[in-house]
Amino acid sequence: MTQIEMENKQALKPKSQMKSDHKKILKLSPEYTQSSFAWITSLALTIVFLLNCFDFSTKTIKPFAFSAFLAYSLFTLIQIGLTVAIRKDILTSGTIRKTTRKLGFIQLLGVFTGNVFVVSFAFNVIKEKKTPEYMFAVYMVMTQFFIIAISSLNLFKPYVSNTFLLAMTLLVAILVFQLAATLLVAKHVTNQSTKRWMTWIAIPLILTAATGNLFALILGYGLLMKGRSNDLSRIDKWDTMWGKITRNTTATLGLFFIIFMFSISVCSNFTFDYSMAVENNYSALLQPPSISYPLGTDDFGRDLFTRIIFGARISLVVGFISTIIPAVVGGALGAIAGYYGHRTDNIVMRLLDVLYAVPGILLAIAIIAAFGANITNLIIALSVGSIPTYARTMRANVLMVSNYQFVESARALGSSDLSIIFRQVIPNSLAPMIVKATLTIGGAVIATSSLSYLGLGVEPHIPEWGNILKLGSTYLETHSYLAIYPGLAIIALVLSFNFLGDGLRDAMDPKLD
Amino acid sequence: MEVKASTRDGNRLLCIMQNSYDKMHQRNSYNCIIMILGLPVHLFLFMFYVWRKRDNTYSSLLEDSKRSLADEGFKEKLRLEFRNQLIRKCEFFGQHVNESELEKQVENLAEERFLKIAREKTDKRLLKEGKTKSSYSNFFRSLLSQPLFFFLTLLPGLLMYLFIFMYSNPFVKYVFERLVISVFVVIGVVILVFSILYISPFEPAANIIGETATPEQISAFNRLHGLDLPYLAQLWEAIKGIVTFDLGASYAGNEDVITSIAKKFPITLIISLLSLVMAVLIAVPIGIISSTKPNSFFDYTFMFIALLGLSIPNFWQGLIFILNFSIKLQWLPATYNPQNWLSVIMPIIVLGTALTASVSRMTRSSMLEIINEDYIITAKAKGLNKRQVLWKHAVGNAMIPVITVIGLLFGGMLGGAAVTEKVFNISGIGSYIVDKQFIPDIPSILGGVVYVAITISLINVIIDILYAYLDPRIRSKIKQY
Repeated sequence: MTQIEMENKQALKPKSQMKSDHKKILKLSPEYTQSSFAWITSLALTIVFLLNCFDFSTKTIKPFAFSAFLAYSLFTLIQIGLTVAIRKDILTSGTIRKTTRKLGFIQLLGVFTGNVFVVSFAFNVIKEKKTPEYMFAVYMVMTQFFIIAISSLNLFKPYVSNTFLLAMTLLVAILVFQLAATLLVAKHVTNQSTKRWMTWIAIPLILTAATGNLFALILGYGLLMKGRSNDLSRIDKWDTMWGKITRNTTATLGLFFIIFMFSISVCSNFTFDYSMAVENNYSALLQPPSISYPLGTDDFGRDLFTRIIFGARISLVVGFISTIIPAVVGGALGAIAGYYGHRTDNIVMRLLDVLYAVPGILLAIAIIAAFGANITNLIIALSVGSIPTYARTMRANVLMVSNYQFVESARALGSSDLSIIFRQVIPNSLAPMIVKATLTIGGAVIATSSLSYLGLGVEPHIPEWGNILKLGSTYLETHSYLAIYPGLAIIALVLSFNFLGDGLRDAMDPKLD
Repeated sequence: MEVKASTRDGNRLLCIMQNSYDKMHQRNSYNCIIMILGLPVHLFLFMFYVWRKRDNTYSSLLEDSKRSLADEGFKEKLRLEFRNQLIRKCEFFGQHVNESELEKQVENLAEERFLKIAREKTDKRLLKEGKTKSSYSNFFRSLLSQPLFFFLTLLPGLLMYLFIFMYSNPFVKYVFERLVISVFVVIGVVILVFSILYISPFEPAANIIGETATPEQISAFNRLHGLDLPYLAQLWEAIKGIVTFDLGASYAGNEDVITSIAKKFPITLIISLLSLVMAVLIAVPIGIISSTKPNSFFDYTFMFIALLGLSIPNFWQGLIFILNFSIKLQWLPATYNPQNWLSVIMPIIVLGTALTASVSRMTRSSMLEIINEDYIITAKAKGLNKRQVLWKHAVGNAMIPVITVIGLLFGGMLGGAAVTEKVFNISGIGSYIVDKQFIPDIPSILGGVVYVAITISLINVIIDILYAYLDPRIRSKIKQY
């Protein structure tokens, strides 16, 4: 084949080839994929609102759902336009033009409709060089904003809790401070370091994490490290690790929702009135959703919205504790079995096989049958069943790690077995455990509500998502919203944990590097 | 002719037995089991062995080599060597040399080394003369090759011979050991569940008879159900009951526990199995397609749906299904009814959702891993087209971890069926256990949980065996002792 023929062939590249080339170029741009993700999810939400804004039985339009539909469709349309613009920019010049990036500021307004997908995209697109700190700052502000927005729904209630005004003022003040900090972070933090005076902002930022806004804590820690530490490898590790997670849109949104839920469970102590969630109100039985009762009321006149907010803390607490206990116990057993091997391994793992043979839910039912249904027993019951899986994961890692040379050198230097296990082996086999734990918290949340639904979990008088659902299921025919909303809350939380777990796995998996 | 053939077969059998015994006696645990199983034979043989040992060549040979070594002055040489070594050692560490202590140590070390070398020498001589060191296992081994001995001891040693014969085939050995392990696991499960229920602070008697129960009534109830017995006696009864399928009557309602469990088990099993079939039929193709087009819109959508499926609580999904398909659309009945097969559709889908999601995610990740393996590149380089590579080389291998996951999740599904059964009002084993736990009705809960655990163990054994049969890597691993 001559040179000319070759060139001809190049020029006559088939159309499909061109298309796949385009696809490859577009895939390399994180903004483009984020933008597509944002418009698709936004469109999906728009369709959900559209389907809900028309009441088929009475043939009327619900004003609230309809206005939400209008707002969402507006931002979705802008988002689609932006996606097209970004696509054109990338295919013509290879980068996104400054003017296109400026358009992102419009999408920031989406924060008032509660459309997190569009807003998180907007923050991504308006800054070209993103540091993990910038992302934390942005999500920190978003969390704070949504907490204030959710809490201010209480203004439409007949009465608010005593601490409401004070708490709201504080929250708004914190929001203003965090906004200022975000602007500074966007300006002065680079991937390598930051100005030393930024550390003075870091300390009050860490203090604001007392509202449960853990993004502030991570951001403050990052600023302190970058401002004070000279250990470049440590900073680099931090940047790569968090960079990978924050580039993963779904994982970050998962983390955002978890922290938001955590924060609202902390703040709701002061901004929400617990009596709304537990005390009977016979003047407001089975009210449909309205502005003063955003999700309606149940058959005792209790506000469903407040109940769901107060239920979040139980799901989070039970989920976390019943993941930490088996992770520690199972991890220790697995580490011992894997490190010592032979007979120890055999004995430990065979005993755990017994535990593994009983399905988790059945074991939990048996334990609760024996000791009664309350939160402590529920946590124990859920913990015991998942010890073996953690032990297996840890054992497999330890078996691998304890063959590495650094363990051998530690042994040659005369370290004791215990110090080798705790200093060398366990820290190096933690990553899969963290991923596994994140992925199983979701399972624990589901198990908690399932057991509560069966009447075997949390005591029935406590507003817990499973309990709320159990009550709602009896009104399925007439007031189905009582069963739908708590279920949506469970799904959102579990989905967030699963997304975060997937993201962590991708970030920590050395195979993907 | 026939006689010859049969003797040849017999010889071959003995040969197999001998080989198998050779391999087995290297492990202490197997040796122990052989001794116990063939106790009558071994008792007799051992006495015979001790009696015959008197005219043994080994000890005389040992004496002989000892004498020859002593004649060479070997012991003196050793003593001198050790003495010098010890003195040097003491000098190095700056210790004071104690003469009598030193003498003692030298004597000990020299004696030890002398015996060791004498034994080695004897072994070497034995080997040269073509004799084996006489030990009991060698003695037994040599007898095994004699047909007469074998037939004489066939009856008393039948168990032992069966055991040895079984272990001559690595595959049978694997299956057998796997079954033995599951028996132990099941016994462990009985002990675990029974102990949990035993230490319960609740008193079933008070719950059943009511608050007005007198102490006499309570003690009569306890005596009736054997609750006044000590822990071990009750535990033994429970294990016996599980094995012999006789757990007595339940506390409330006085119905036979086994009969009620047997009545409720089939429906749970059927629904779980159908869910499994549905999950595999849907999930495996989706996983394969997703993995062939990674990071495409199709892939993202399906994996998002799968993650959503993992995040939906069973009972909520069931309620939403009832709300939409039974109440609003009125397509399917809301509760289960054995006469109406339509009523089983919703429970199957609800129960199978999580499994479908897991299996499709697992299939995808396993396929993605396999596609990057060297042998797939080889297959492509060989000139196979995409489809051949995918179906002949990738899918089969990718299914191996998927099958394990299915086995493990199926157990969880049987356990998790309790919630789905409650939602759709199915009287299966799960809702039976939940109903009985309020009392707590110990035999019913114990029976329910343990029989579910047994089913799961059995399924896992079958999957393991299938594996060993299908996966050449595991097969070769089994063959290595």
